[in-house]
Amino acid sequence: MAAELCIRSGRIALKDGDRAFRLEIDDLALGAGQAVALTGTSGAGKTLLLELLGLLRAPGAGTVYLHRDGQGGETDLAALWAQGPRNPDLARLRGALFGFVPQTGGLLPFLTVAENIALPQRVNHRPDAARCRALMARLGIADIAALRPGALSIGQRQRAAIARALAHRPAFVIADEPTAALDPETADAVLALLLETARAEGAGLILSSHDIPRMERFGIARRALVPGRHGAGEAVSRLQTVVPC
Amino acid sequence: MLIVQLAWRDLLRDRFFLLCNVAVMVGILVPLLVLFGVKNGVYQALIGEMLANPANLQIDTAGNATLSEAEIAPLRDWPEIAFMTPKIRAQFDYINVRATEGRRMRAALLIPTGAGDPTLPSGAELAEGAVAISAQLAAQLDLAPGADLQLITQAEGRPRQLVLPARVGLVLPEGAAAGRAVLAPYAVLDLVEAFYDSYSLPEHGIDGTRPLEDRVTAYEGVRVYARRLEDLASLQARIESQLGLGTTAHTREVESLLGLGRKLNLALAGTAVLAAVGLGAALVLGFWSEVARKRLVLAGIALLGVPGRQLALFPVVQALITAALGLVLSFALYALAGRGAQAVFGQGLPGGAPLAVISPAQAAAISAVVLVLVLAAAAAAAWSAQRLDPATVLREGA
Repeated sequence: MAAELCIRSGRIALKDGDRAFRLEIDDLALGAGQAVALTGTSGAGKTLLLELLGLLRAPGAGTVYLHRDGQGGETDLAALWAQGPRNPDLARLRGALFGFVPQTGGLLPFLTVAENIALPQRVNHRPDAARCRALMARLGIADIAALRPGALSIGQRQRAAIARALAHRPAFVIADEPTAALDPETADAVLALLLETARAEGAGLILSSHDIPRMERFGIARRALVPGRHGAGEAVSRLQTVVPC
Repeated sequence: MLIVQLAWRDLLRDRFFLLCNVAVMVGILVPLLVLFGVKNGVYQALIGEMLANPANLQIDTAGNATLSEAEIAPLRDWPEIAFMTPKIRAQFDYINVRATEGRRMRAALLIPTGAGDPTLPSGAELAEGAVAISAQLAAQLDLAPGADLQLITQAEGRPRQLVLPARVGLVLPEGAAAGRAVLAPYAVLDLVEAFYDSYSLPEHGIDGTRPLEDRVTAYEGVRVYARRLEDLASLQARIESQLGLGTTAHTREVESLLGLGRKLNLALAGTAVLAAVGLGAALVLGFWSEVARKRLVLAGIALLGVPGRQLALFPVVQALITAALGLVLSFALYALAGRGAQAVFGQGLPGGAPLAVISPAQAAAISAVVLVLVLAAAAAAAWSAQRLDPATVLREGA
């Protein structure tokens, strides 16, 4: 049985001055080994849902958020937030459970590509230089291992970010519009590498995108966020697809 | 520790920021260090010159009193007294001195001494039968350590001179005792006084009108040396109060110099406080703005699972490295400035003393204060780093 993330009765409310936004998820299950794309228009809450899934945003009251490790163990992730947003266990679990691929790589500018890729292993106290080398070779970035991110193209940075996201064998990779900053050709290449590598590593892939045709072309299951309006000017976005836990 | 390495690597890459903050520190610290060093150097030279003359630590009872041993005994336990000796009556403290078998004879002042007397070279002690003589007396009588001499005194109405044999234990350095002087144990002076008071001294072939056994020990006064210049004024007042006598000492000169030191310290402390406020403000803003500038980098580290408390160490480590570099450079420039100042202005100091002086203990204390100041300045940046939202990387990109 594979590891799984499960959200039930998910509610997150944001308020910024006069503007209010609410994201509602009735039931969503994401398994390791699966690739899922959160789609929707700008402002639909894709990044917010990624943040919720990636332990970067506190779930609202009443939200059930569980991690099942596939071996019978279950962690109540929502309960961890109750211990405070700066709870170190939350940070450690985020580092161990997830790998992140931000839009433009999110690499540390003062480390080389190789050092950036090895960093999650060091954070999680699981150094494995051979795995880093294998990932770099698979992603075709072995020859730029000694360069710093500033010397790389955006495509190279994204490939380095993919290697970094998988370096510590996380159960899930969260990618926020990983191809948005790339030209179509490079975007296809990077997405193919991301899917292939995540699949080969057995990691679940959760990405956000508003590029629906590309998601369909790569056969990535879509979970659409549909925006609406509720009451006195509050924007509401709802996850259309229900995937029971 | 991972966060320390990351902070160090970031600082290496961001050398401009490092140099800016180091320059701010150096710009404030070096003038302060030079001021402090010069104040120390000049003041220590003046204090050293004062201490070189033991007379500046000396307190003498004035006039001729009659003190019993019981009256002066408590003074022997006072911790602020480095050395004390009773005195005989002033009119009897001149004697004639000549080398045994010598022809020349010179009058010299007879001064009581003993172990711990600051007039003697440090650690010097006189063996039994030995005296110390001034350099001038040694030169005039051609006396060297180990030479035998005679202390001769003549009292009115006494048919015989009192002749006391002695040996030169040591010749005092120039300036230690002015003119011709013999420093001898108090017992020698007591014998001279007994001779003047017409007591019989059969051991020395002197027949007197009174037997020595009838003599009641009494002192004309005391000569005291304070342990420190800072003790002089209070010790003088305490002795006067204890013995009910007036005293003489170089209190005014000593207090004047000590007062100058206190005023200089106060002025320097005020300057240092103002500089610390300025430096602190510059560093607080510098470190804080750096966290704001690097929020995506720091959020990126947090995104990987580094807890906020560890992230807070990032600016603190960078601040400590900045402080260490600033201190090293400041002390190096201070040393250069000190040498320059020594070459230009330093010739007039007494004893060729260095113009700018900062002791290792003072340097350590200054470094500790600066490190504490820098740590305090980094606290705001640490707080800011700890509160960074790791989701910033996803929302703003990096």
